[in-house]
Amino acid sequence: MSPATPQMRNLAKRLMAYETGGNKSSGTKTPVAFHCCEKLRPHLATLMGDGGFRALLSRALADAEVPWLRAVHVKADGSLEGLEELHVQLDLDEFFEGRIVLLTQLLGLLVAFIGENLTLRLVREVWPNVPLDNLDFGNGGTNEETN
Amino acid sequence: MKKQTKAAKLTLPKKVASKPAKVMIHKLPTGVRGLDDILGGGIPEFSFNIIAGTPGCGKTTLAHQIVFANATAQKPAIYFTVLGEPAIKMLRYQQQFSFFDESRLGKDIRLINLADVLLEQDSNAVLDEIIKQVTAIDPSVVVVDSFRTVVRKAVATSGEMETQSFIHRLAQFLTSWQATTFLVGEYAEAEIRDNPLFTIADGILWLWQVTERNSVVRKMQIMKLRGQASVPGLHTIRISGDGVQAFSRTLGLVEPRTKLNPYRRLSIGIPELDTMLGGGILEGDSLLVAGPSGTGKSALATQFIAEGLRNGEPGIMAIFEERPQGYTHRAGTFGLNLKTPQREGKLETLYLRPLDLSVDETMQEILDAIERIGAKRLVIDSLVGFEMALAPGFRADYRESLYRMIGALTGAGVTILSTVEVEDTFTALPFSHYTISFLTDDIIRMRYVEIDGQLRKVMVVIKMRGGNHSKDIREYVITDKGVVIIHPRDTDYTRLTTGVPERIGQREEVAPEPKAK
Repeated sequence: MSPATPQMRNLAKRLMAYETGGNKSSGTKTPVAFHCCEKLRPHLATLMGDGGFRALLSRALADAEVPWLRAVHVKADGSLEGLEELHVQLDLDEFFEGRIVLLTQLLGLLVAFIGENLTLRLVREVWPNVPLDNLDFGNGGTNEETN
Repeated sequence: MKKQTKAAKLTLPKKVASKPAKVMIHKLPTGVRGLDDILGGGIPEFSFNIIAGTPGCGKTTLAHQIVFANATAQKPAIYFTVLGEPAIKMLRYQQQFSFFDESRLGKDIRLINLADVLLEQDSNAVLDEIIKQVTAIDPSVVVVDSFRTVVRKAVATSGEMETQSFIHRLAQFLTSWQATTFLVGEYAEAEIRDNPLFTIADGILWLWQVTERNSVVRKMQIMKLRGQASVPGLHTIRISGDGVQAFSRTLGLVEPRTKLNPYRRLSIGIPELDTMLGGGILEGDSLLVAGPSGTGKSALATQFIAEGLRNGEPGIMAIFEERPQGYTHRAGTFGLNLKTPQREGKLETLYLRPLDLSVDETMQEILDAIERIGAKRLVIDSLVGFEMALAPGFRADYRESLYRMIGALTGAGVTILSTVEVEDTFTALPFSHYTISFLTDDIIRMRYVEIDGQLRKVMVVIKMRGGNHSKDIREYVITDKGVVIIHPRDTDYTRLTTGVPERIGQREEVAPEPKAK
């Protein structure tokens, strides 16, 4: 079962919106393009090491099912490479959507492994100003926000 | 005046005004039930400890319990993971335990992964990173899991002397920073002699997982603990949803005994049997009811408990064979209501049938129940079923364990009725499979006898502590009132103990229960 639930996608969108200030075009330059993954990286690397984070992000990338993300690779330190060539070829919506899908997969994997509570704690630690209170993981309902 | 010798001058004066106080070693709670008692009060503060053992015996869980029991926001704990269980999986599994409170992660408890440092650099870099983090966070507790991987790397890259130096520097630094340290690792016993780590360590907690036949039991030994007296020997541990729980080998022997009225006798619920016992069972006694299957041992036990409940004495039934529903149902057929006292918390039924129990765990369960409901009476039905429920490894020590358990329970002020099934022979009258004289104060033996074409039941009081008792062998029946001793005794037989008696009386007897036509 894919860990990328609508609830997870909603969370990913909130974080992305916070990072980009609602502007899809902002943060498209590497490494800023995947700013959320980058912000999570040191926290997760402290917990599981660079190798652990690399493995998790690679898995998220493999699960993302976004064709253009196949050209992206995870480096030894857990950062992403291959974006420089890509972002100029993609339209903004496509690029924005790919970033959301990857973050959704990463958060979904975290929830699958360590549970919602710990994942949300981690997210709160990284983004203390992003409101997460009305997120509902428990009832399986779809609480995806519409644009 | 006589000149003082040199030796006399060196002798300390007899009167010393005041002695300087010894250093006070504070003890940290482990958060593991039973372990603090085994350790002699807890883990000595600032000590440098090893949690060692084979895979799967509970080392990481134990370390987590210690961390959760001691970490605070002001004095956090650092849990360094190295090349052992991946941190993400450790978190996944550890949060299943009730002690795991995820809200404390990141504040009270910091998880830091050192795997990359060790893989890409060397053990000195690991030490530098530990020093950096400890200096920054100022923790009260530090765990390195698994430390063995760090040492392996150190030995492989730097040799033994350098490894010893590394361990020494680590111990010195962590102690100076007033951190109580736990190094978790998979070690073999043979390593204790040559591994410098064991020389430096203040405490060694060794955990085992022992397989015997189809069962697995876990044990723990405090191999070393500087500064305080721990309980020597192997102690049973169990991992449940609450984490590791330890059962001291001396559980029950050290608790103070409850003072009882030495002359108070408790009714067994069968007036005629009370008379045979010399007025009832002395409070705090252990009574053994022995007999073959179907002679009414459980019925007698039920009446004993029900009588206690009638007199306001809460009771516990530890059942190892029959199902609790069967017990309640049978009591109902005797007109004894056990459901209401169960509902009201005056009666607890402990139904213990796993095949890997230890006597210590059972004792702890019973002691907990005694404390919960203030029990005064206890039934153990039966000792044979109890033995069957034990892991094979514990059966070898059953007699000693039982001795300790009965001592502990009677010491807690509880009067015990235990049943034991014995096979009837027609040449002897055995009381039990076990040597029981040390186990029980009182013994009632039930058996079948063949009389006039019927297999009837008789009982006799074999032994009563502190008083005279009837020596009569009495016939009894089990009716809708339970065990009923036939009164008056109007049949004279001899050789009843053989099961095939001979009539010596002249009077024609009436069968207590009708014979088939």
